[in-house]
Amino acid sequence: MRWATRAGIHIDRAACAWLIRRFVDRDAEFLFVGDPAEVPADATPFDMRGVVLGHVGGDCSFETILRHFELTDPVLWRIAEIVHVADLDDDRFDAPEAAGLDVLLRGLSMTGTDEQTLAVSGPMFDALYEYHRRRTLLGREPA
Amino acid sequence: MLSYRLPREPSGPRTTLWRRLKRLGVVQVADGLVALPADARTREQLEWLADDVLAANGTAGVWLARPTSITQERELAATLAGARATEYSELIAQCRAATDGDPADRARALRRLRGEWRAIGRRDFFPPPEREQAAAALRHLETSTRAEPVR
Repeated sequence: MRWATRAGIHIDRAACAWLIRRFVDRDAEFLFVGDPAEVPADATPFDMRGVVLGHVGGDCSFETILRHFELTDPVLWRIAEIVHVADLDDDRFDAPEAAGLDVLLRGLSMTGTDEQTLAVSGPMFDALYEYHRRRTLLGREPA
Repeated sequence: MLSYRLPREPSGPRTTLWRRLKRLGVVQVADGLVALPADARTREQLEWLADDVLAANGTAGVWLARPTSITQERELAATLAGARATEYSELIAQCRAATDGDPADRARALRRLRGEWRAIGRRDFFPPPEREQAAAALRHLETSTRAEPVR
């Protein structure tokens, strides 16, 4: 399936793309467009104005996608807290990882293309997932 | 720039919008019109807020605008810098007040005020001299948490 989002991706879109490819559509193909009107008819838009999979009532797009596809994995919801705070900076959750992740993603957007940002940030989110999976299982900080 | 009109009632969405605009550090140009220096990030933030206004039965638009005179542009920048300067000054006052507290309170205040300094920095587009002064006040507070002998 094809998925489309705004070009110049940052934390929320990078996290959404990872989430989609890993938990929704293994063969996902991503397009980056300048304006919502440029989204091809066969592509599902996300993290853009006026689309279903966007910011909804104070939630970031990552949270919206989790709700939409009924993903209830607590580890994903923990990552959602980090993405939310990094994206919206509203202190809704206690997510100390957010500031560092935001800086890294902003730096990636300065040094490479959107495709490269996804290629680098994918393994970063895999690592974040594994860390929080172990933390959830152990009930304490993993070594 | 974000232009917006929201119904008077319910007041919830107005309060939420006001809080979000404050966090972004916008300058109020007129009633229902706020501005931020244009970059990809500020534009995106205003666009999401515009959607929130529409969802609350209001009307909103996001605009790329340019002042027609340098004077007008400087005034906007000065207003933004002045608003941040006030926030940094309040931070400096809090740093000084915290220096008189007991060591545990000081350490707690330092953590909170460092966070506050970063938050102001994220909406600081034209850093005033108070930014460095606030950083110095934080360093002073940090030194005082270390220098204190155990009582």
